[in-house]
Amino acid sequence: MAAADTNMRTVVYDDDVCRAFSLATVIWGAVALLLGVIVATQLSHWQANFNTSWLSFGRLRPLHTNAAIFAFVGNMMFAGIYYSTQRLLKVRMASDLLSWFNFWGWQIIIVAAAVTLPLGLTQGKEYAELIWPIDIAIAVVWVAFAVNFFWTLARRNEPNLYVAIWFYIATIITIAVLHIVNSLALPTSFLHSYPIWAGVQDALVQWWYGHNAVAFFLTTPILGIMYYYLPKAADRPVYSYRLSVVHFWSLVFIYIWAGPHHLLYTALPDWAQTLGMIFSLMLWAPSWGGMLNGLLTLRGAWDKLRTDPVIKFFIVAVTFYGMATFEGPLLSIKSVSALGHYTDWIIGHVHGGALGWNGFMAIGMLYWLVPRLWSTKLYSNRLAEIHFWIATVGILMYVVSMWVSGVSQGLFWRALDADGFLKYPDFIEGLVASKAMYQMRLLGGLLFFGSYILGMVNIFATVAKGQKSRTEVQVSARVNETGEGARRLIFSPPVLFSVALIALMCWLGVANLLTSPLVLGLLCVTVAGAGLSFALGRDRWARWHDLIEQNGFVFTVLVLFAILIGGVVQIIPTVVISGKVPSQVAAYQAEIAQAAADSTVIFTVNEELAEQAKWMQQPYSPLELEGRDLYIREGCYTCHSQMIRPLRHEVLRYGDYSRLEESLLDHPFQWGSKRTGPDLARVGGKYGNLWHYLHMTDPRSTSPASNMPSYHWLKDGRVDLGGIAHKMQTQTKLGVPYTDADILNAEQTARGQGQLITDDLAAQSVELAPDSELAAIIAYLQRLGRGPQPLTSADLAEGGR
Amino acid sequence: MSELQDKVRKHTFDGIQEYDNKLPNWWLWTLYGAIIYALIYWLAVHTIAITRTPVEQLQVEMVAAAEEQLARAAEGGLSNESLALMSTIPDRMAEGKAIFLQYCVVCHTESGGGSVGPNLTDAYWIHGGDLMDQHRIVTNGVPAKGMAAWGNQLGPRRVEAVVAYVYTLRGSNVPGGKAPEGELYEEEATP
Repeated sequence: MAAADTNMRTVVYDDDVCRAFSLATVIWGAVALLLGVIVATQLSHWQANFNTSWLSFGRLRPLHTNAAIFAFVGNMMFAGIYYSTQRLLKVRMASDLLSWFNFWGWQIIIVAAAVTLPLGLTQGKEYAELIWPIDIAIAVVWVAFAVNFFWTLARRNEPNLYVAIWFYIATIITIAVLHIVNSLALPTSFLHSYPIWAGVQDALVQWWYGHNAVAFFLTTPILGIMYYYLPKAADRPVYSYRLSVVHFWSLVFIYIWAGPHHLLYTALPDWAQTLGMIFSLMLWAPSWGGMLNGLLTLRGAWDKLRTDPVIKFFIVAVTFYGMATFEGPLLSIKSVSALGHYTDWIIGHVHGGALGWNGFMAIGMLYWLVPRLWSTKLYSNRLAEIHFWIATVGILMYVVSMWVSGVSQGLFWRALDADGFLKYPDFIEGLVASKAMYQMRLLGGLLFFGSYILGMVNIFATVAKGQKSRTEVQVSARVNETGEGARRLIFSPPVLFSVALIALMCWLGVANLLTSPLVLGLLCVTVAGAGLSFALGRDRWARWHDLIEQNGFVFTVLVLFAILIGGVVQIIPTVVISGKVPSQVAAYQAEIAQAAADSTVIFTVNEELAEQAKWMQQPYSPLELEGRDLYIREGCYTCHSQMIRPLRHEVLRYGDYSRLEESLLDHPFQWGSKRTGPDLARVGGKYGNLWHYLHMTDPRSTSPASNMPSYHWLKDGRVDLGGIAHKMQTQTKLGVPYTDADILNAEQTARGQGQLITDDLAAQSVELAPDSELAAIIAYLQRLGRGPQPLTSADLAEGGR
Repeated sequence: MSELQDKVRKHTFDGIQEYDNKLPNWWLWTLYGAIIYALIYWLAVHTIAITRTPVEQLQVEMVAAAEEQLARAAEGGLSNESLALMSTIPDRMAEGKAIFLQYCVVCHTESGGGSVGPNLTDAYWIHGGDLMDQHRIVTNGVPAKGMAAWGNQLGPRRVEAVVAYVYTLRGSNVPGGKAPEGELYEEEATP
């Protein structure tokens, strides 16, 4: 560099905030893993909840997942991004204030989560459980991070954006979109709200969010981190820039479509299920592009694998990434999903990703970063080696045990005998068979946790012997290039061909038998045109990407466009179509009533509407609604589904398959994703009130091998009967058809229904207060899969319904 | 992947260099193959609709299963008499007892004396005392009373065995059983 260059400036990077995030990562990682060990223990030995409400599985599992994703990986991601972004853009973060606001805001959010979730304050949506005030705080902190990042981008001294930065951009904008849309809710109080989405809409939005939280919180930022730290640690060039380009764009475009693979064989419309499956298959290659670029970058540096623990952790991380992104598409194939869904296989899959990919990337990064941030060497390479081997054995035990128990559960559930009936009619048999695997999983988790503690010791010892780094560099200030304008970059062959291809694909989706050959023809022509344009103008296409790398605004707009399409195509039709069903059914029923009252009205049967009317959900009674909120509070959905798939063995075990219409008024939906216990969609009326009383207070009394917590605290807990009316009012605003009379009489109705249940129990010598939480939850459970139930003894005398 | 292929791009980022190697062909074909498969799958399943939807598939299977059951029922000719006969076959009673102990004891207790559910050892029956009545109750349940419908979950063979087993408890009037409920049922003398 020319020393006399007048353009040279001195830049001091902000290493302080990176240090803070690194230490937070180390600490929250231990918390997340410890919580994992506790909940794993509860699954094999239910007593590990010490009969305490706030330690029960349903409340701690959401805390475990939130801690692992948002506290551990979240802090790791911030540490990695803040450190690498400044160096890749050759500029200090734009605002120290925003950096520290990001740091402290995020830590406060985590603490708030750690307080609220054990208290049962939850929204009941997986990985989005946090209550609405915390959701708003997350949005604010995330926007602060985004502002700081893009501001830094604008002030950079490096004209081109490196691939790591591309992934950071995709992360920041996509998480903002996902979080805001999925968290839209109407509060009933400071601590409670109902999501604006219901039933199938909520399911689709939730898994669009849930799947892409994996994609854009656990994958893209970590790939960005891989692209910085792995070549740094290996001291080798990245294998292929053009692979980076192709796999980046295909990954961000395709990932967003794959959410419905969490809902295969559910009441989600078939077309959306198919999209979920085929986009998951198409995601395989783009994911492996990242793995390849990681692994092949290490060519020529394999010797370091023997000596450098950082490289060891990175290699295993990238390998687990490859394995998990192969397993994901595999599990998205409908017939495989039929076996694996709701089982422990999925638990094994996510831990392959979370422990193997995220965990090992985090540890590798910290072992590389911490010595640099404290200007020293790692305290002990030997300790890091030991950490590596114990952790690797731990993950393998974890993943393998979950494969075995998951596949066996799937096979137990579906097994039919010679007569074509269930071979294992009792659900518990699959759980009993898994017990040894649950213990092996616990051992694997303990090994991972124990080795992590060694890592903590190593890192703290490194910090203790080091001194805080101060990184000052000389950089040449960026000369503002005139470059090509945003308009020309957007209206360019690569973008135009992509838009045309996507539009034609969408058209093909709705084309019928007659028009589809035409659309296919156009598609072929467009592909050929794009191929030709690329072949002839290879340099121009390459130059184009070079130019958008210099234009952060255009790059961001294109990423936003790429990630919006999948969500728009899936969510808008589902929301619009399903949103209309309740009012259409109501209008149809009014028409029937009119015709019955007035014989001159000509009435024509509409079979589709008649079928929808038959299954259409009626609003919950006040007490049932309250019971449902308790079901959500206790996190029942972490072990029980409410979605019977149209598969013979499920219909035999649980009753008729679940219809879309049956949960259209559910804010939030509770279809669930895991069956540690049986499905509950049609549990209403299956057992008596006394059975539920016994089962909730001591599950072992009705189901000896059960690992369900005993919910004795529901006996003593009281429902605020007077507060239900307000909740119903809120639901009315969301479209649930409660009448004014329903709301006015809510308290009285709730008391009457509670009395009915407790009278029935009293007749069988069990005392329970009508306004107890247990009565409310029994009312809800007895309603599942059925129409309105008798609310007073007078109703009952009339024969109910 | 020879080293000759590796050409470093001129730009570096914080010391990180990048090669510009060609994409591996097998990788490209994995991507293209998945895209082509996705197109074909969509066309086959949704545009041409040559496959059954999950619900259609279920209906086909359920019909086939019902046909099978019908054939079986026509052969077996289930009746009060056949169920009573079954209760004399030790193997079937061992099976019936095992099922009873697994599924029924929660409400009817091990002896059949009843707790949540009624006493099965006395002569009083709420929903009819015929063996066929009981077969119907076990199969379809009595939701209002909290008796579960076991027909689908257990299947006919197990339902028959457990009904016949319960028949063996009848009249044992176990001590400590629940008070009689329902009507006194007197079995017709076998002609």
